Amino acid sequence: MSALPQHVDTAIYEKVVYCFAEALGLDEDEVTYDSLVIDDLGAESLDLLDIAFRLERTFDIKIPRGGVEQAAQQALDDGDPYEVDGILTERGRNSLADAMPEIPREEFREGLKSVEVALLFRVATFYRLVVELMAAKANAS
Amino acid sequence: MVGVRRADWAMAVGGEGHGEPGVICNLSIDGKAEGVVVSVPLLPEPLLTDQQAALEGMVRAVEVARQALGGLDAVGLGSLLAVVAGRGAALAERVDIPVTTGAAATTWAAVENAVAVLDVLGERRAAVLGFAGTVGQGVAAALSARGYDVVVGGSGKAMERQAKKLGVSLDSPEGAAGSARVVIGASTTGGILAPEALAPGTVLLDIALPPTLTPGKRPDGVTVLAGEAVALPEGWQKGFWGTIYHWLSYGHSQAYACLMEPIVLSMVGRETPYAQGRRLKPGALEDFGRDAATLGLRPRLARGWSEVRPQVLLTG
Repeated sequence: MSALPQHVDTAIYEKVVYCFAEALGLDEDEVTYDSLVIDDLGAESLDLLDIAFRLERTFDIKIPRGGVEQAAQQALDDGDPYEVDGILTERGRNSLADAMPEIPREEFREGLKSVEVALLFRVATFYRLVVELMAAKANAS
Repeated sequence: MVGVRRADWAMAVGGEGHGEPGVICNLSIDGKAEGVVVSVPLLPEPLLTDQQAALEGMVRAVEVARQALGGLDAVGLGSLLAVVAGRGAALAERVDIPVTTGAAATTWAAVENAVAVLDVLGERRAAVLGFAGTVGQGVAAALSARGYDVVVGGSGKAMERQAKKLGVSLDSPEGAAGSARVVIGASTTGGILAPEALAPGTVLLDIALPPTLTPGKRPDGVTVLAGEAVALPEGWQKGFWGTIYHWLSYGHSQAYACLMEPIVLSMVGRETPYAQGRRLKPGALEDFGRDAATLGLRPRLARGWSEVRPQVLLTG
C-alpha cells in the first residue's frame, strides 16, 4: 500500500478499499488511495453504482447519486451556468475542483465535458465522500 | 428473477415490473424440474440507483417463487438484476439457496457460438467488445485459451494490464471491431459501435442488450446473430404464459443462456453458484459447460427467433 495522507482514517480507508476490491473483483493491494476508478481499476458505469451500494451498506450512509456535481452546481448561486452544451464552464470547473480537492486542479481542464467528470474520480474521492457523509450523519444525530 | 426446484425441483428467474413481485409464468422440464419467472417491481432507473430497494424486491421475489413452487433449490438473476446489489452477492447473504447471475452460461454460449462461427469461416482472429465486463472478459479469456488470436476493445491502464495478463491485444472498440471478421459484442450497456466500424462480411455475435450497434446502415454482408441463445432442452414445458414470455423474449424454440444457469444448477444438485460477483471464478465456464452437456443443453446460433446453421455463413 502506498503512503496515505496523514489525515486519512486507516480503519475507514481499509473498508473503502475492501468495497472497491469486492465490487471490481480485484485484490486489495491493487486498489490505492490515488487510483483512478475507471482508468486504473477498470470500473464500468455500473460498477460505480455497485461501489456506492457497497459503501452505503458498509457505513450505513446514503450516497446521493450525482451528489458531487449537484453540490458544485448549487454552489453557483449567482445564476452563472455550470455547463453549456455539456461542456463545463470555467466557474463550473472551479466549483467542481473546490468540491473534489483530492483531484489535481489542472485536471479540470478547459473543454472538460460533464460526462467526463467520472473519469477523474479517485478512490480518494469516495473515501472523502464517506467521511463527509458519516460526519453529517453524526452531526444530525 | 428465476427460481428453480428440482424433480421435485424448483427454479426462479427474473425481470423487472411494477408493484409487488409476482409470477410471470411457469416453466418446466418434464418430470425433472419446475421453475417460475418472477418479476421484481422496479423500473431500470430506480433499480440501478436504489439498490437497497432492488435487494429487498429480490428477497420478496424469492419468497414468491418459493411459495409458488412449494420449495426452491436455486435462484437465477436475469437482466439488470444480475448487475445490481453486488451482482448476486447481497441476495446470497439473505437467502439459504444458491444465487447465480447467469454470467457463466452467457459466456459459455457466446464462446461456443463464436467458436462455431470462427471454425466454419476458417478464421483464427476474433474481436471482443465490452472487455471491461464480466462476460466480455470471460469470452476473451476462453477464446485466447483455445488458441484464437483475440483483440479486445477498450482503453485505460486496467484494460491494458488485463489484456496483457490474458495474452490478448487491446485496441479501441472501432479498431478492434474493424480488424476481425468475427466480432463478439458483450458490452453491458450496448450502443457502443457505429455499424460502419465493421468491415464488409463481418459476423457480429451480439450479447449486448440494448444491441451493440447504434442505428445506421450496415456495410454489405454484415451478419448479426444472437450470441447467447441456447436450444430448449427436451421436455421443455412452457404453458400459456410461458409461451407469451418466450414470444416476448427469444422466441418459442430457444432461450437466453442465462435462463438455463439456475436450471442446470438445480438439476445437477450443485450447491455453489456458477457465477456471482464481478469476475467469473476459474473453472466456472468449464463446470457449467460440463453440467450443461450432461443435461443435453446446446448453444444455438440464431437470427431473431430462428436457428442459423454456421454453414449458412459461407454462402452469405
